[in-house]
Order: sequence, then structure tokens, then C-alpha cells
Amino acid sequence: MAAPEPRVRAPSTAAKGEIIEIKALITHPMESGLRRDGAGKLMPRKIINTFSCRYNGELVFSVDLHEAVAANPYLEFYVRAEESGTLEFAWHEDGGAVYTARETLTVT
Amino acid sequence: MSIGPRVTRRTALRAAALAGLAFVVRPASGAPDPEIALAEQLFGRAPVPSDRLRLDMPAVFPNGYTVPLALDVDSPMTDADHVRIVHVVAPRNPLVRVASFHFTPRSGRARISTRIRLAEPQNVIAVAEMSDGSLLLAKTRVEVEINGCA
Repeated sequence: MAAPEPRVRAPSTAAKGEIIEIKALITHPMESGLRRDGAGKLMPRKIINTFSCRYNGELVFSVDLHEAVAANPYLEFYVRAEESGTLEFAWHEDGGAVYTARETLTVT
Repeated sequence: MSIGPRVTRRTALRAAALAGLAFVVRPASGAPDPEIALAEQLFGRAPVPSDRLRLDMPAVFPNGYTVPLALDVDSPMTDADHVRIVHVVAPRNPLVRVASFHFTPRSGRARISTRIRLAEPQNVIAVAEMSDGSLLLAKTRVEVEINGCA
């Protein structure tokens, strides 16, 4: 499996109080643990199980993902712009790996 | 990090069967609704169908491996009145829980879009947990032509 690659699209500037749209995707097969390989053996579950978005360190949105989220999980969500700073995104994979991305937001 | 026990189609069907039994014992509770019964088993209380929660999915979609899903809850998203969590459940998938979306007042708006797998045509359920403790329910019928083995 190629290394999962996070991608985020978020505005770089916003007015104070504006509700901004964020699009976040990670390339990932979301192996459900229900499929069998060519030899008939169940392939172990390996999914992104949690996604989080922190705004200047504060958790503002998160998702628990289960097996039925499609491969290359895509999330479109919203955050209220309050002050300039960073948006940090984290995808937690079964087995403990964490993939991250970060965006800077300037609030005017 | 999943919340609660792993719910399989088997336990879901058992819950639906038990709900049918409850109906026999307590006919005053009204007609059994399999979606409400399943939600009660998963979340501890029976949700109330509400127009404030909208679950938007195509009625017919060719590919069960990647079905678009959007949901939106009418809420001011203030500290006093906001949406805490919206759970999505696919009762006829081998594993019925799909995802749970955790909002905060800083979300600004309780709305998301994503893509999910559906193993067969079914009623997809969304249950919103509000900050006042109420549970709202919405459901929508989705016919998939190629079944996406979840």
C-alpha cells in the first residue's frame, strides 16, 4: 500500500465569525477486515478510525470512522473563524499510525 | 476509536426481533419502527423523527462502494444549544455503524458530506444527539445497483 497522503482544502483568510468550509481527504484503502485474499484468507482490518480538526489547539470537529466509510475517506465540514492561527488535521489508522496536515488561517 | 460494542447485522436483527416482542407486550407504544428500535439499542434511548435533521443521499445509486452522503442539522450551534454528535447507521450492512460526527459550538454549523459503502439497498439512518440530551432521527431509502461489501 502506498503511504496514505492527506489533502486539505481550506481558505487562507476569513472574516471574524465567518463559517468556513473545509475539505479533507486521505488516500487510504479502508480495508474493512471482511474481504478475503486470493487464497481465501480474511484480510486484516486496517482503516482510518478517527479524524480530528484542532483550531489553535482546541478540538473543534472529529469523526469516528467505521468499516463502511468509503476508501479514500473524504470529509467536508465547517469551522467558525474566530482568530488567526492554525488548523491541524489528524487521521488515526488502526495500528497506531497518525497522518497529519496543517493549514494557516488569517482572520481579519 | 469506536464507541460501545461492535454491532453486527446479527445483533441488529436480534434487536429488531426484541422490539417486535416489546410491541406485543406493550401495544400502547404504537407500531414498531425497525429504525427506531435499532437506534434505541445502539444509543440507549429511542430517537424522535425530526425535520431539523436532514439526511441527503441519492435514492438510486449505481455503485455501493462510494455512495454520497450529506447531513445537516438546524441548530444555532451556541454553547447553550448545539449538536453534539450525529451517528450514521446502515442497518443492512454486515457492520451497521458507519460513522459518528462530533461537533462543537466552534464548528459553527452541523453539516458534513462524505462517501459511504452500502452492502445492499436499505434505509440509512442518522441520529443526532443534541446538547439538551434529545435524540433526533432521520432516515432515507437508498437503492444501490452494485453492492459495496462493507
